[in-house]
Amino acid sequence: MMGFKAIFKKQMKVFAQSPEVLIQFAIFPFLAFIITVLIDFEAMGAGMEELPGMSVELAVMISEMMAGNMPNMVTMQATLFAGMALIPAVAGFIAEDIEKKRLRFLMMAGVKPASYLLGVGIAVAIIAFVSTVAFAFIGEFSGVDFWIFTGAMMSGVAGSIMLGATIGILTKNQQAATALAMPAALVFGFLPMIAQFADGLARWLHPLYTQQLNVVADRLNGISVDTQLWQSFAIMWVNVLVLGILFAVVYRAKGVRDL
Amino acid sequence: MISINMKNVKKSFGKNNVLKGVTFETFEGEIFGLLGPSGSGKTTIINILTKQLAADSGECYVAVKSEEIGLMLEYDGLWGNLSSLDNLVVFEDVYKIPHTRTLESLESVGLSNVKKTKVDSLSKGMRQRLVLARAILHKPKILFLDEPTSALDPVTARGIYDLIRKLRDSGSTVFLTTHNMEEATNLCDRVIMLHDGRIIEQGAPNEICDKYNATKTLPDLEAVFVQLTGGGLQ
Repeated sequence: MMGFKAIFKKQMKVFAQSPEVLIQFAIFPFLAFIITVLIDFEAMGAGMEELPGMSVELAVMISEMMAGNMPNMVTMQATLFAGMALIPAVAGFIAEDIEKKRLRFLMMAGVKPASYLLGVGIAVAIIAFVSTVAFAFIGEFSGVDFWIFTGAMMSGVAGSIMLGATIGILTKNQQAATALAMPAALVFGFLPMIAQFADGLARWLHPLYTQQLNVVADRLNGISVDTQLWQSFAIMWVNVLVLGILFAVVYRAKGVRDL
Repeated sequence: MISINMKNVKKSFGKNNVLKGVTFETFEGEIFGLLGPSGSGKTTIINILTKQLAADSGECYVAVKSEEIGLMLEYDGLWGNLSSLDNLVVFEDVYKIPHTRTLESLESVGLSNVKKTKVDSLSKGMRQRLVLARAILHKPKILFLDEPTSALDPVTARGIYDLIRKLRDSGSTVFLTTHNMEEATNLCDRVIMLHDGRIIEQGAPNEICDKYNATKTLPDLEAVFVQLTGGGLQ
């Protein structure tokens, strides 16, 4: 794997020396933490009985409904992170290296395209793993639950890295990468988040890896779900496989040699 | 020994015939200059020789593998948010060369004092020197330099000339493009003059000047070029 170590080290240095890049990986766990700590869902609706025409019984009922129906904030942010942060990030890293002609110098120096993509992908996965551990900590997943959550998240991370890399090598510059990555991020990150409020949408999104991330997290949070754990993981891994094949097809058709 | 050989190479972009049958060869241990105005096909030749572009027809031979080539092109390909040293370390890892060699390269272009400075904070001239340090990092057998001193002050440029001569003396072939006639006259062992996709003259700078009895009112090679084409190189 000529050049893998060089690219991996370079990518880790880019993370270390670019706080603006790291923000993409830190903001979602940070928001999950803030929302979890600051919003007391149990107390939501308090004082409602003082509203004109509101009876105490109705106020309590509304309050209980709100608390019971609020989705888990950690799950919501984790899904957003897996879809919305990683796809544009990976696509952006690769597209920027193509746009600034860095990849051309690397290829001329003998770095194999597969080594380059693996180096970037593994560096991103390691940083994403740190975010995942933060989510698990905030969500209070421990023991076996921790590993199930981490496994599900890293499966999602793998899928998003594949998709981001596909978009990155398809495009010639960051602007084009963003234009393609955002719709993908909305489908794979934002829609599953919205699906936590809409059962109909959740059924439509059932085959998506990020939706299964929701399902696994819901299960770990004690929410009743129809899908078995193994089925969720199977769907996620099929997603990763399909995205891997898509990546390979695009890679063969275009490849980073066409710089 | 021949290091680069191009035979009747043609290249078009749409209806624009950029190269109309270019033939030349370079040898180990020489500084070879490619002279011509903008749009004459200089960069296209470098792109074909470095396999970034395929020729439409003709033969092209480069005696070494791509890893043994050093490149200093019109774009720098640097990571702006990494330091000068870290930019070189990426290639140190790729070429698997000792770290001391990387430090030597930085020293040779006079950038040791800014090795921890982010590339985004460097001046254009410093970035150009850093690109040269990266190009010579692995002691390449063939070095392609596209306008190597265009953004440098005369003193730094002179230092770069010495560096290029040292590389030539160690057996490397240096292939450079330039608009600077004084640079070409003083630095190059042989040059070719490219005009409208064709080579109009080639040889050692002094021989070419003698052949055309070049006027001394302009730098000699430019006078020859003006005589041959009716236009300047700038």
